[in-house]
Amino acid sequence: MDAPAAISVATSVAAGATAAASSGVLHIENWRLALALVFSLVAGGCSLALKLGLGRDIAIGTVRTFAQLFLMGWVLGWVFQADSPWLVMGLFLVMAGAAAHTARGRVKEKAVRFAWPMYGGMAAVYLLVTVTVTGAIVAAKPWWTPQYFLPIGGMVLGNSMNSVAVALDRLFSDMRARAAEIEMRLCLGADAAEASADIVRSAVRAGMIPAVNSMMAVGLVSLPGMMTGQILGGSDPTLAIRYQIVVMLMIVGATALGSTLLTLIIRRRCFGPGMRPLLR
Amino acid sequence: MHEAKRAHRPPRLALLGVGFAYAPQPGATETSGNSAPSAVPSAGQGSPAIPGRQVLSGVDLAVPAGAFVQLAGPSGAGKSTLLRLFCRLEEPQAGAVLLDGADIRELAPPLLRRRVAYLQQTPVVAPGSVRENLLLPFAFKAAAGEVPPDDAALVALLARLAAGDIPLGQEAATLSVGQRQRLCLARALLTRPDALLLDEPVSALDPESARAVMDAAESYCLDDGGTVVLVSHAEFEPRRVSPQLFRLEGGRLHPETPAAEA
Repeated sequence: MDAPAAISVATSVAAGATAAASSGVLHIENWRLALALVFSLVAGGCSLALKLGLGRDIAIGTVRTFAQLFLMGWVLGWVFQADSPWLVMGLFLVMAGAAAHTARGRVKEKAVRFAWPMYGGMAAVYLLVTVTVTGAIVAAKPWWTPQYFLPIGGMVLGNSMNSVAVALDRLFSDMRARAAEIEMRLCLGADAAEASADIVRSAVRAGMIPAVNSMMAVGLVSLPGMMTGQILGGSDPTLAIRYQIVVMLMIVGATALGSTLLTLIIRRRCFGPGMRPLLR
Repeated sequence: MHEAKRAHRPPRLALLGVGFAYAPQPGATETSGNSAPSAVPSAGQGSPAIPGRQVLSGVDLAVPAGAFVQLAGPSGAGKSTLLRLFCRLEEPQAGAVLLDGADIRELAPPLLRRRVAYLQQTPVVAPGSVRENLLLPFAFKAAAGEVPPDDAALVALLARLAAGDIPLGQEAATLSVGQRQRLCLARALLTRPDALLLDEPVSALDPESARAVMDAAESYCLDDGGTVVLVSHAEFEPRRVSPQLFRLEGGRLHPETPAAEA
């Protein structure tokens, strides 16, 4: 629960901050912000009327949204002021940890331990992608400028975290469902990688498909968050779309790298000594 | 006795004081009592694996090269587990498993499994044609440098299993269970294993397929000098070999005298 909120917060607050700095964006006063609670009440009303049993979650979710976002706004403001690369990296790693934690929670398999490779792999891949974007494509100076690094990093994390969760969930469930097939290949002299090649392929594919599909719909169906934030902040839409193009492509790249690397690393953990399948 | 003649040669397959228990359920606290353990059905095995249950204790077995060993015993006694130990699909907690006198852990698992071929109880075919299935063992790194057999050799092999009428181009998934089991046995034989582990190979087959599979196993043993370990509920009546019979019960292996055979 924490991570997606924290990450998307980082994204929108920072994007907003960038935008607000560039031109005058309308201020939302406290009482108008409170007015937005109407939407929570509407949701609660639906739950009550249809006996959905979601009332409690809606209430908690509303409170958490306020608390987490105000906290993140405060943290970001502080990090922007401090202007220290260590602080920026530290916050990025905390966000990556939260993303890995969330993705791990979404994977149902409990027989294989994969927490540490997951944390390490996600942090490394997403750091690489984010640095490439801020350093080489957006060419922020310095590359860790928090106004760029944190929102872009947050978008990389928030979007590809799901792909990793989907890929791993698929990996584990296929390992179990197709255990007899894996065993058959092992018995014919396949090594662990050869025996599970098909399963790895379909897992990585399952992880990547949503990001690839989102490239098809962008601009037609959806106006993504960063672009929306920039436009609200008064940016020229022709500049906003340039950022959005970079964001879309970087998400596809991060998704591909993240789900491939983690699936390959964690596949090894599905086999015990002697290339013996552990999931069946 | 045969042992005297072969005393100078290590047995092809051997178990030395092997103990085996199913892994305790992950996350479960280890309790020694019978706290209603849940049964997990496991692939390729007829009986459920109950986490933490001791299956084999101090099992010794020596299978000389060229022998035909048949294992019987109640379901859940660990017959499949015993077979799977020989090709490292299971790892013993105690004792050692030997191939030609050497610990099987010294061999790379793919090479071990090509020498000691395990045939699953339920035949599993890969997507693709009969030909693709038969050539599957040659697609792996462990077969690097080997020349895959040509179509004539494949047809001849299938004919040996009374399956010569199956077109090589047919989708393997469309075959009957009996045909699939014959295909799987043919595929296992193509790697020229030293030993063949058969796990209830005919329990789900029609009589004709069952006879073809067992004839092929006997021929592999008698004509090719192969070693066979067969798990079977004794519905198999050998035609040419006289199997060494063992009964697995209570975690231990007991030799049985054959029922009046010449």
